[in-house]
Amino acid sequence: MTLQWSPSPPDHVPAELIVDFDFFQAPEGLNDPVQIWHDLVRRGVPPIFYTPRNGGHWVFLKYSDIVEGYRNHEIFSTYQTPIPPIEPFPVMQPQGVDPPEHNVFRKLLAPMFTPLAVRRMTEGLQHRAQTMISSFADKGGCDFIADYASRFPTGTFLDLFGLPEERLPEFLALSEVFFRSTDPDARAQNLNDIYAVLEELFREKDRNPGSDIASAIVTARDENGQQHPWQDILNCGFLLFVAGLDTVTNTMAYVWRYLASTPQARAEFRDRLDDPTAFQLAIEELMRINAVSNIYRRVTHDCEYKGIQFRRNDRVILSNTLANRDPSVFEDPQTINLDRQVNNHVTFGVGPHRCMGSHLAKREIMISLQEWLRQIPDFELAEDQEQGSIFGGSVMGFTSLKLRW
Amino acid sequence: MRVVANLQVCQGHARCEDLCPEIFSTDAVEGKVVIEHPEFGPELEEKVRLAVRNCPEGALRIAKGGAA
Ligand code: HEM
Ligand code: SF4
Repeated sequence: MTLQWSPSPPDHVPAELIVDFDFFQAPEGLNDPVQIWHDLVRRGVPPIFYTPRNGGHWVFLKYSDIVEGYRNHEIFSTYQTPIPPIEPFPVMQPQGVDPPEHNVFRKLLAPMFTPLAVRRMTEGLQHRAQTMISSFADKGGCDFIADYASRFPTGTFLDLFGLPEERLPEFLALSEVFFRSTDPDARAQNLNDIYAVLEELFREKDRNPGSDIASAIVTARDENGQQHPWQDILNCGFLLFVAGLDTVTNTMAYVWRYLASTPQARAEFRDRLDDPTAFQLAIEELMRINAVSNIYRRVTHDCEYKGIQFRRNDRVILSNTLANRDPSVFEDPQTINLDRQVNNHVTFGVGPHRCMGSHLAKREIMISLQEWLRQIPDFELAEDQEQGSIFGGSVMGFTSLKLRW
Repeated sequence: MRVVANLQVCQGHARCEDLCPEIFSTDAVEGKVVIEHPEFGPELEEKVRLAVRNCPEGALRIAKGGAA
């Protein structure tokens, strides 16, 4: 049967490359959102295809195509990419700008996110993890998302931005709407609220700079000795909010969900508690298998690429979970091997926009897991999981994950 | 043996530093790879090779012999 599309797919897309695929929709009965993507591979669809859903976009299935998509910014731009399209969209700094201009904010942020800078955050992260976990360790259970995975990265964000811990509830509420609401009015209001908070924050740091990231952004000077354009400063703050919260929350959710249901893996990590190098190697494999981000690009000009006609403004999705389980790159890709030796996963992207927060994200997860296993060495999934608690989209994950011990 | 990095290509994943801190570190400004002592002996060969193979950008290369 031929599906009837309205509006019809653009005429540069041949019928044999059209597939009905909605990456926001988890098929009924599914309890793991990454399967939205792996189901596709099982359906045997073409390695580069077009779906008319969500405003219409291309999908690359193969590791090699995904990596090339990341690297080829001359064809695949990060400027104005939302799917479904929203225009105009804030030009996020540095993510929404192509090289070479993109380097201005990337360079500005880089020193604050190097492995060295992140190692210096260790004690603060440990303290946060210990305090949060001990608040429920004797309760016999928790909702991992509400009680930990959303609070931990949000608290870390406040700390990085030189904001007091008391503002945690306010920021949790802002991100709840931002990441989960589908109501257009609530979303529009929420965006205004976030920008109002950023405006106030950067004004304050401009007057009284501290040693935090917000101060570093607002006091930085361009090559002419001028402050960067105010809108860029706000958009950089906005990007850090967007990039560093939901990604960490849902990666954690995946990791804890896996450990809760896999006693040998818990034992394996407990055995490595005193060997940070081995612990880290095992975390890297969990990063590969739990890639929550699907990344958007926009085609810059009409062109033929890999024998396919692309048109200016076509959208493309690079799905990291697909790349990370490509059997032509990873041996036994669906198996979690905590000692995997060669692991070129793209969970944090590759190329010019490679995640600047990867070292921080990995350290947040590693320290959380170490502290957790010290206080709660054994835990499992509770029986009363909420129905419909998984979601797809640009970041995939869970709205609730009940654990007990 | 000697290991060399292409800094144009390095994006600072620091996988090399994680896997072989004896040879690789990352700088404090850009977060790109620093190889202070590019020469390494047979005792480190396996670790260096593993780091090279794990660089997601393909920025590292082992050069045979002493000179670049
Ligand atoms: C597990 C958690 C995380 C995942 C899976 C993740 C994933 C990604 C990916 C795939 C990109 C590439 C985007 C693109 O190519 O368009 C990216 C970019 C970025 N991420 Fe992350 N991220 C995580 C956590 C964080 C954290 C904690 C921060 C900072 C606080 C952060 C800051 C950034 C920034 C600034 C960029 C843009 C870099 C640029 O455009 O040059 N991320 N992230
Ligand atoms: S792993 Fe590769 S890209 Fe990453 S820091 Fe080392 S050389 Fe650079």
